[in-house]
Amino acid sequence: MPTEPSSSVAAIWAILRKECRSEWRTRYGISAALLFAITTLTTVSFAVGRMPDRTDVLAALFWIVLLFASLASLSHSFVREVEGHTMTLLRQVASPTAIALGKLLWNLVFLAAIELVTVPLFLILMGAPPPRWAAFLALLALGSLALAASSTLVGALIAQSRGRGALFAAVSLPLLLPVLAGAVSGTRAQWAGGAVAAPAQLLASYALAILAVSLVLYDHLWEE
Amino acid sequence: MSGAALTLAPPRTVAVEARSLAHRFGARVALEPQQFRLDGGIVAVTGPNGSGKSTLLRIVAGLLRPSAGECVVSVAGRALPPLARRIHAGLMSPMLSFYEELTVGENLEFAAEARGLAAPRRAAAAALERVGLGARAADRAGALSSGLLQRLRLAFATLGSPALLLLDEPGSHLDEEGRGALETWIRSVARDALVMLATNDEREWRLADRTIQLRGRDLGDPA
Repeated sequence: MPTEPSSSVAAIWAILRKECRSEWRTRYGISAALLFAITTLTTVSFAVGRMPDRTDVLAALFWIVLLFASLASLSHSFVREVEGHTMTLLRQVASPTAIALGKLLWNLVFLAAIELVTVPLFLILMGAPPPRWAAFLALLALGSLALAASSTLVGALIAQSRGRGALFAAVSLPLLLPVLAGAVSGTRAQWAGGAVAAPAQLLASYALAILAVSLVLYDHLWEE
Repeated sequence: MSGAALTLAPPRTVAVEARSLAHRFGARVALEPQQFRLDGGIVAVTGPNGSGKSTLLRIVAGLLRPSAGECVVSVAGRALPPLARRIHAGLMSPMLSFYEELTVGENLEFAAEARGLAAPRRAAAAALERVGLGARAADRAGALSSGLLQRLRLAFATLGSPALLLLDEPGSHLDEEGRGALETWIRSVARDALVMLATNDEREWRLADRTIQLRGRDLGDPA
């Protein structure tokens, strides 16, 4: 029989691998997210052209595209389990915390895949100035962590509720606003030559706070 | 299903005790107060539809928190918190669904790996052989018939040879051969595990050493 700590690590890893395999088979989330990102960037690029001087608009547009491209899939990682009736199986093989951490890791992998396509496309199509790569990638990583942690928490909380679509919007708005505020101001600052330490610290602290709250809450989720 | 291949781990003392255990969903009574202690063997849980058979099994499995009383599951004299029960309990339930985009083998491998079993691939293959699904390991789970899906549920419940087996209507959808093998198998595993069978099927409850008869109320009767 397995022991608890080793079984939790195994469960998190198994859930991450299962999510990757399921997504690879169905392409459910990735194709919709990439379609949104590519269509949005192409449309904006045709409409307003390249705008290297408008770093404020560029920073906002960059995070809006990332947020909306990924949000549908991030919010559905738990809902898919409920609607596919696989939650009973999951709860039989892993603790709620392990399930949620596995989902969080998957959401981070998913975001990284979206960013791998979206970032170069954005820089080319929008004519953004060359980023200060260290600062830009640090902000991207911290913003992604905060975004994934927030949406995983909200997704887990609303998964078994009725009217979860409306609930997700209502609950995630206040949680995502600080992420967007920190990420946009940091990204703008790195293009404008300003300091990025404060927004980076805000994103890191916020992500850690959300993770801490999540770890306290997860084991009490889905108690019927 | 092959009865011969069903060798479980050495006997472990598992006990389930219900102390004034009851449950309701909102105002609706789902399980009337129960008081029992089970130490091993085969226990049939019978009763009319809506009397709480599945609810009782889900509470024992730790998936449902009872609204009154308590359910204590202990292994080797040590009481397990609800979240730790999944390691020692295998649940077969009509509510158990699998990932349709994954194969039969991948579903069980995932479950074995997530449960922290050593050699998950081997554990999954052994469980599939046990229920006669070895040849269907590469098929997508979504393509299985209801009878084969029931066998997959049984394979899932037996992963890691749990000390407590909770089988909810295990014979439903099975053909005659499958039901015969299931009965042989249940007798075989009950030597080392406590088996709780939620059933109204006479062939299944005749296997039991003991019966818990749930009275229930009339369907739809509020509290």
